[in-house]
Amino acid sequence: MAGCPWGQPAAIHTPLFARDDPMTLAAEISSASEATQVSPHAVRGGLMAGQRRIGLLLLLPAAVAFGGIILYPFLQALALSLFEYTLETPAPRFDGLGNFAKIAATPDVWQAFLTTAIYVFFTTTGTLILGLAWALILNQPFRGRGLLRSLSLLPWVLPSTVSAFIWGWIFNSRYGVLNAFLLEIGFIAMPQAWLSTSAGAMVAVIITKIWLSIPLFMAFFLAGLQNLDREQVDAARVDGANNWAILRDHVLPHLRPVLIVVVVLGVIGNLQQFDTIYALTGGGPVRATAVLSVEVYRRAFEQWDVGLASAIGVLWVATLLPPAFLYLRMLVKGA
Amino acid sequence: MKRFKSVASAAVIAASVALPGQAVKAADVSFMSFSYAEEAAKPSVDALLKGFEAQTKLTVEPLGYAWGDMQKNIFLRARSKTLPSVAQLSERWLPSFANVAGLVDLNEVYGKDKLAAMFAPDALAMGQVGSKQLALPLISGSIGLIANKAVLEKAGVSKTPTTVEEFRGALVAVRDKVPNSVPYTMATKNNGSILLDFMIWTWTFGGEIIDEQGKVKIGSTDAGKQALGFMVGLMKDRLAAPEIDRPDARRLVAQGASAFFFDAPQARTHLRSFSGQGPAFDANVLPLATPIAIAGREPASIQWGHLLVQFSSTGKANADAPASQFITYLTSDEAQSKFPLEQSALPVTKSARADPKVAGDAFLTAWAKAAGNPGRNEVGIWPNAAELTQIIGEEVQGALLGQKSIDDSIQSMQKRLETSMANVSKQN
Repeated sequence: MAGCPWGQPAAIHTPLFARDDPMTLAAEISSASEATQVSPHAVRGGLMAGQRRIGLLLLLPAAVAFGGIILYPFLQALALSLFEYTLETPAPRFDGLGNFAKIAATPDVWQAFLTTAIYVFFTTTGTLILGLAWALILNQPFRGRGLLRSLSLLPWVLPSTVSAFIWGWIFNSRYGVLNAFLLEIGFIAMPQAWLSTSAGAMVAVIITKIWLSIPLFMAFFLAGLQNLDREQVDAARVDGANNWAILRDHVLPHLRPVLIVVVVLGVIGNLQQFDTIYALTGGGPVRATAVLSVEVYRRAFEQWDVGLASAIGVLWVATLLPPAFLYLRMLVKGA
Repeated sequence: MKRFKSVASAAVIAASVALPGQAVKAADVSFMSFSYAEEAAKPSVDALLKGFEAQTKLTVEPLGYAWGDMQKNIFLRARSKTLPSVAQLSERWLPSFANVAGLVDLNEVYGKDKLAAMFAPDALAMGQVGSKQLALPLISGSIGLIANKAVLEKAGVSKTPTTVEEFRGALVAVRDKVPNSVPYTMATKNNGSILLDFMIWTWTFGGEIIDEQGKVKIGSTDAGKQALGFMVGLMKDRLAAPEIDRPDARRLVAQGASAFFFDAPQARTHLRSFSGQGPAFDANVLPLATPIAIAGREPASIQWGHLLVQFSSTGKANADAPASQFITYLTSDEAQSKFPLEQSALPVTKSARADPKVAGDAFLTAWAKAAGNPGRNEVGIWPNAAELTQIIGEEVQGALLGQKSIDDSIQSMQKRLETSMANVSKQN
């Protein structure tokens, strides 16, 4: 042991198998093993391995929750998509790709994909434009800016179903605020049933979701704008750049990473949207606002066809994978 | 040691808060009910539960779910094997739940002959699926036309309409003389409600949607087109309005903003509540025979009622089981002489119907006269009723909102219903 500053036993370097006497060899091994126990607090496999074990231990509760709440139901839904499982079938019956074949032959489901695409495109684009515009306004110095920034978060704080009922009241054909206002200014001669036309209902659910999402998008953009180089903007102004040129050539390029993250998150969130649409229109009139989430709900809880609903759900998840992959890749690259 | 003492103390305090005095005992019966979730009906259900508990010393745990959420919750509980002992159903839901594991055949519990001797045949039939008695009735009645007498008087309508033409004339009078009104609060929003209005008008014009053998008939005669054309015409002339469901109709009628709507007799209880006038509003509630389009034809109305189903893990039960005792109590004279009348509905047992209180209820007497010969819901009797309802609701709504022509809607309805019925067998 002497001369070893790290406490490494000198015996460990001894060529053990050079001895001929087996008894001596065993004694040597035993002696070497005892000699490695340098400290009762030593971590097996080294410090890094110990940290990894603690890391895994800390991860365990989250992993168990994820497995129980997300992974298991997802795998079960994946399996059920291959089964015929309705209220009339007491136990699921294996049906292979029968549910997917049924989907292929059901125009309503394809219509739901198209409706979802329209909904996601307009909600994401609308929120992007209005969220950015609002962030640019709130980035300007003016009196009461702090209060306005706080109030801007209100739609985000409200439960989404409450927001849906507020907008349902605004659009209501009999006692809606919108009709009252338009009648008052003489824009319409009689109350309009906004939620009873396909276009009107779609516009209503899109407006509601945009209103709900603006605060989140705005917060992202506002955070990004804090790092914008003011001197560069001032220099551009000295060179004669107008507002549009500054937005196009300085602000947007600066916000590019934020824009990408916001778009990807927006697309994912809007693809998953259910509560506001269901509370506002129930997917109607007829099927005008029946996006994939509503379609899954209707099949599962109105027609009791869990197998078919699971199959639609699997396809729905497939639509979520590309943006989710993009987002994860950005996260990993960022890390 | 200090830490151990702290943890031990916290555990003792938590236990003393969680278990005040004794361990929580599960109730003897769990009762899933949509009436219990309705403001107007909850006091009556509470009284029933107290009456049962006082009589038997058994306890009941009421589980209230909104009417629109009941089917979904029973379905989810069936999947997770957490079904209640007894559940309340709308009569049209029973075929959909006929195959749920654990549903008890009540003929085996009480005896078929005993049930036949006790219950009115029309009420008992609502709980039959094939040869089994999968439910017993709780209250019964029909879906029929209700008018607001005060609104009709305001519109100058002195004669109640008996034909479709007279009905239309009354609607025009209401539209012109009662500002901001919806003369007829026809269901235009919810598929389940749209189905009932459409079925009644289809029968009125001499048609049917699906016959007894499961053959789709809606497109085979002109009656379906005439019925839908009549409904579309009402929308175009602002005699009916979009975005109306049954609860909207009840509120508008109660507030004097509508003259007519279709509902069950239970509507009187809702109208009392929504008008804020209580029983004083009864003078305005007028049960009417559905106007006829073909001379000599019976005015159309649809069979309606609430049922009780019993669940057990084995699908079998005896009459002494707490859940069986609970159902026995709910269908006893003591319960049937009060609860149905409080709900403005007919009792289901022969003895309760013979009670002078039933005959003395002017509203129920008028109802029986106006809609006392209801037809069976020809969509609700099929196990795929939910899909059929959605198809009919979507096609009717499409025509009402001008998205489709009447011909296209009926043709599409016929085709979609045929596809849905292709692999379905009738259960009762």
